[in-house]
Amino acid sequence: MGVLMEVKNLVTRFHTQEGTVYAVNDVSYVLNEGETLGVVGESGSGKSVHALSIMRLIAMPPGKIEGGEVWFEGKDLLKLKSDEMRLIRGAEIAMIFQDPMTSLNPVLTIGTQITEALKLHMGMNDKDADNRAAELLTMVGIPDAKRRLKNYPHQFSGGMRQRVMIAMALSCNPKLLIADEPTTALDVTIQAQIIELIKRLRDQFGMAIVWISHDLGVVAGLADTVQVMYGGRIVERGPAEEVFKDTRHPYTLGLLRSLPRHDASTNRERLVQIEGSPPDMRQLSPGCPFAPRCTYKIARCEQEMPSLIPGPGSSAEHLKACWVDVRTNQPLPEAEVVHV
Amino acid sequence: MSSPAAAQAASVTSNNHEVILSVKDLKKHFPINSGVIIQRQVGAVKAVDGVSFDVMKGETLGLVGESGCGKSTTGRTVLQLYKPTSGSVAFEGQELTTMKPGDLRHMRRKMQMIFQDPFASLNPRMSVGNIVSEPLKIHNIIQNKVELQEYVEALLQRVGLNPYYVNRYPHEFSGGQRQRIGIARALALKPTFIVADEPISALDVSIQAQVVNLLEDLQQEFNLTYLFIAHDLSMVRHICDRVAVMYLGKIVEIGPTDAVYDNPLHPYTQALLSAVPVPDPMIEKMRQRVILKGDVPSPAHPPIGCNFNTRCPVAVPGICFQEPDPPLIEIEPGHWAACHRVTTF
Ligand SMILES: Nc1ncnc2c1ncn2[C@@H]1O[C@H](COP(=O)(O)OP(=O)(O)O)[C@@H](O)[C@H]1O
Ligand SMILES: Nc1ncnc2c1ncn2[C@@H]1O[C@H](COP(=O)(O)OP(=O)(O)O)[C@@H](O)[C@H]1O
Ligand SMILES: [Mg+2]
Ligand SMILES: [Mg+2]
Repeated sequence: MGVLMEVKNLVTRFHTQEGTVYAVNDVSYVLNEGETLGVVGESGSGKSVHALSIMRLIAMPPGKIEGGEVWFEGKDLLKLKSDEMRLIRGAEIAMIFQDPMTSLNPVLTIGTQITEALKLHMGMNDKDADNRAAELLTMVGIPDAKRRLKNYPHQFSGGMRQRVMIAMALSCNPKLLIADEPTTALDVTIQAQIIELIKRLRDQFGMAIVWISHDLGVVAGLADTVQVMYGGRIVERGPAEEVFKDTRHPYTLGLLRSLPRHDASTNRERLVQIEGSPPDMRQLSPGCPFAPRCTYKIARCEQEMPSLIPGPGSSAEHLKACWVDVRTNQPLPEAEVVHV
Repeated sequence: MSSPAAAQAASVTSNNHEVILSVKDLKKHFPINSGVIIQRQVGAVKAVDGVSFDVMKGETLGLVGESGCGKSTTGRTVLQLYKPTSGSVAFEGQELTTMKPGDLRHMRRKMQMIFQDPFASLNPRMSVGNIVSEPLKIHNIIQNKVELQEYVEALLQRVGLNPYYVNRYPHEFSGGQRQRIGIARALALKPTFIVADEPISALDVSIQAQVVNLLEDLQQEFNLTYLFIAHDLSMVRHICDRVAVMYLGKIVEIGPTDAVYDNPLHPYTQALLSAVPVPDPMIEKMRQRVILKGDVPSPAHPPIGCNFNTRCPVAVPGICFQEPDPPLIEIEPGHWAACHRVTTF
């Protein structure tokens, strides 16, 4: 599988009256064609801002992409002119959101909104676009598609609206779908429907997916690769099974330990909680953002952010940004080296 | 049919006979009005439509189900924050639905509520100290100012907030801290029973366990009884002794937590549990899901026949569409389900 996108040293900040918000701090990763990347982390950890930066949808001001590159099919998206970017958005890269109403126009019918994109990006005429729109709605499991095209967004339930969004997002066969918490507002039975749908469409179209979620369970079921964010940084990343089974960052470990399971009955023991609260994103600490809450912390953690590298004995794709080996609770050799 | 573990769990709860709250055939219908000048009722949202359950002293009963199924309305109607359309609610042996307002006000001291959105439920113009002491002032419990302040500070300390912050305002706190303020306020009158309505749904994953641990510690310490409303089925399994599953204003299954989770009887409970993702990629790969069709029908127009028949993957032609909605039947000790298939076949 070839490389589809490479994010390099992405830095995005918001310059607000209350100070600078360090939303995304030096995020780098590679996404392969057809790969599903799950991005997890609590609210405020920079998941959405990282995705919006890739899409160049950050409100500027107060936001600013201060550095980095996003390579996609030989182009650095951050350097494109806005009309060039507009052609990529929707056609090559599509995005769906938690609240479909943020990207649906309430006063236009669903049909008008889908056909508009088809005419713009695919150069279709009215009749072809109408037919394709009906096909797309059927494909995402909306019955009676021809009639439903004449409906307005408010005439759909939350789950159905998310299906409409998916239909619109996939209308131009994008190579990458970025999904920002698309099931967070939905009930679990509807979430299961949407995830089932996404899996089917992924098999059918082979697009790569960046799936953002705070729910480790959802990501476990969908992602090939899992990327854990904290304080605007990637703290752990790797093949899903390794990240869940051979966890190497204290934050990931803390999250997994704090989650009760509905499929296990030895469930009444006290939950292992992560102490403290998420970081104030208006402070950029030189050290690890998780250090103040971390039970594995050593002195170096507050002084210097560790690099995102493989831990001892883990695969080359499984990276962690931590000075400590969580399996032994001992500092790693690199933590002992002092730079002069 | 029942696993030994489930049977054991069931007998454990049925040994505990001290009922603190008894709800019988409780209904709350919200009128749908129409007409511009003269409003007239054209229908009703059957938000809660004949719900019965007991809560034992010291236990946590979970109330789960998808949004709109009537969980919050049940909680509020139990506490008489909504006037019931019909039915009975007995708390510590006393009927609340017919109680005089003065007596009810007195009873309210023992029954408190914790809300999902700690921000919306806290007055933004009141300091934390005033928020927590307000119930004490309303009920005129502690007159002495110094004593009141000491009591409030001790409460804040107990829920894990620094008493130093007593003069700060809600917006100065994080979501988790605000939920602690809400909990302190609910505890101020030393209640025996608390309805916790999605108390952790709005919190970050890393904060949820903190608040759940706090609620469990407080339960031990003050011998509290909880009605725990939630849609996170994993957390419910952890925190609840028994669980009731609601669908379209009715309880479709109720029983000891392990029995319901290990041996769900109602097809809705089965689908609900199968839809919950597990944070383990290996298990997720192997899982066979029951995917329900469509959406929940409107509680203003429930289906004819069984309430669940529009989405039920195993509905039986005839009986499930023509017979009235099935009642809850005890299938194994303490474990009840409302389904024709479970009771008739
Ligand atoms: N428009 C904005 N103005 C100021 N700060 C913002 C804006 N958008 C996001 N932020 C801040 O950036 C940080 C990262 O936010 P976000 O990426 O939305 O988090 P996540 O998606 O992980 O919940 C947060 O501290 C958030 O408050
Ligand atoms: N004050 C109200 N007036 C009219 N309808 C209401 C009111 N409160 C709730 N409902 C309706 O009653 C049903 C149950 O709501 P609710 O108890 O809030 O469900 P849940 O807490 O399970 O999500 C929903 O259809 C809701 O729209
Ligand atoms: Mg977000
Ligand atoms: Mg509710």
